[in-house]
Amino acid sequence: MAVAANTSERAEARYAGSSLGFKILQYSVLIFFALVCLVPIFWVVANSLKTTREIALNPLGPPTTFRWENYTEAWTVGRFGRYFANSIIVTIPIVIGSVSLSCLAGYGLARFKVRGSNLIFYIFLLGLMVPFQSIMIPLFYILRDLRLLGTYWAMILPSVAVALPFGIFFMRAFFLRLPDELADAAKIDGASDFAVFWRVMLPLSLPALAAQIVFQFMGAWKEFLIPLLYMQREELRPLVLGLMFFKGRFTQNIPLTMAGATIVMLPIVVVYIIFQRRFIQGMTAGALKG
Amino acid sequence: MASAQLAKGSTQLRRRSLRKAMPGYAFIAPAFLLYAIFFIYPFIISIYYSFVRWSGAGPKEFIGLANYQRLFSDRLLWQALSHNLVWVVVGTVAPIAIALLLGALMWRGARGMLVFRIIYFLPVVLAEVVVAIIWNWIYHPLFGALNELLAAIGLGSLTRGWLGDPDTALIAVLVTAIWSYFGFAFVIIMAGLQDVNVDLVEAAMIDGANGWQRFVHVVIPELRHVLTMITAFTLIGGFNVFVIIFIMTQGGPGTATQVIGTYTYRKAFQESDIGYGATLSLVMTTISLVASYLFIRLRERSE
Repeated sequence: MAVAANTSERAEARYAGSSLGFKILQYSVLIFFALVCLVPIFWVVANSLKTTREIALNPLGPPTTFRWENYTEAWTVGRFGRYFANSIIVTIPIVIGSVSLSCLAGYGLARFKVRGSNLIFYIFLLGLMVPFQSIMIPLFYILRDLRLLGTYWAMILPSVAVALPFGIFFMRAFFLRLPDELADAAKIDGASDFAVFWRVMLPLSLPALAAQIVFQFMGAWKEFLIPLLYMQREELRPLVLGLMFFKGRFTQNIPLTMAGATIVMLPIVVVYIIFQRRFIQGMTAGALKG
Repeated sequence: MASAQLAKGSTQLRRRSLRKAMPGYAFIAPAFLLYAIFFIYPFIISIYYSFVRWSGAGPKEFIGLANYQRLFSDRLLWQALSHNLVWVVVGTVAPIAIALLLGALMWRGARGMLVFRIIYFLPVVLAEVVVAIIWNWIYHPLFGALNELLAAIGLGSLTRGWLGDPDTALIAVLVTAIWSYFGFAFVIIMAGLQDVNVDLVEAAMIDGANGWQRFVHVVIPELRHVLTMITAFTLIGGFNVFVIIFIMTQGGPGTATQVIGTYTYRKAFQESDIGYGATLSLVMTTISLVASYLFIRLRERSE
């Protein structure tokens, strides 16, 4: 709070002299860009509640009557209920897997200066720079040979592997900032290495873990290419893929497509708005330290 | 004798250090194992595929560097890369310019800053399919907002099916992409602005620099770090772009929006030209690695 007051005072000093004219210009630009972001999203939600006829007559305004049936129809006929369940089925293990593994490895790399730990770290870093495209072709045949193609695992395992480099990078940087003395003290009291990690370090890393969870959730929920390549079977499709095929099949049924888009959008927007501070923090911290 | 003792001592030492190291490896191993199987191994196989001709079934035929030679005479590849170049340049400059403008306006303080920040970042969190549906609607030839808007301001002659016209398809998809990630540049620039040395700015103010001059001559140089970083992201992202184009135009109409990402997908998964597809994917990797390397060097120099 004190810090906030201080910066706002400084800010005050900085703005001294900003005229009314500047304020008007300032807010027109800021509001213009806010509308550019919001209005297109509004169109999707608005059109998801219209009939096809009403869309033709009134494509851009709010709906005159709210046709909620579009949602029940998308959910059942459009199979978005199934796709939603699939998204949850794959997202939970991806988040748990990627966050726990990168937390463990990040800790291992930060706390134990083992032989080759730098090399291992660089090998993980390589994953941040190598695009997914360069592994997507062999991965198809590897998953086929492991008989995982067309199962949920075909999305879960590669997604975790792809998420690890950033996760490890992020968690390692976090653990490096924690003082070693904390762990050493617990160690002297006779705790095992894992106990030190579990009882001392992990509780301290909850903020970083939370940022990771939110970040990986977003990534898994939005992931498109991995299920497109390895999990095309209709009954396994996650939401984004279901929506893509749906939009291709029902090009004429705009209201249902819009309802589907809203169903895909809603959970992620809710999570984002609730955790926006943590999310943006996680993202910028990761990026700036990168 | 002495050397034997020394050797014995050093193995003991090594054994002891290994025992000390064991917990470290235990923490790292699960992640490394999974990463090795599903990332490192396929990456190596990709390199192997780039030396063979293979249709996905039957035997692989070793053809040496033929796939690499083919790159140079592949006109479609060079066309795709030229689209990537447009994508990188416009897709870097535009979001940074918008983000700097918004940052400049907000940096002087604005009521409701938090709300603006939440709104600008909102498109970033949307899935590409949703973004594509939103913009397909805006570009819709019959009902689309863009055509309605043009008609309303008397530019009705410009209306068209924006994604169906080879002249406008690339820029139309690019605008969509910029809409979906300028918020990312904005958030990073805002974070960078928090670290700007206020004393420098105040000194410039005392020297009589106005708001604009202070921003251009004092603040932007202080942001060079952050700007390099955003550029690195958009550069690598611009060469790897795939999803938004694949969903909106599949690289079409014709090859008007073909980029190396969609071209690689096409070769590998639609034309079953696995060896050449793998070679193309390694071209993407090489570009990414070079860009990352340049970024790291630039960063070192700016520090």
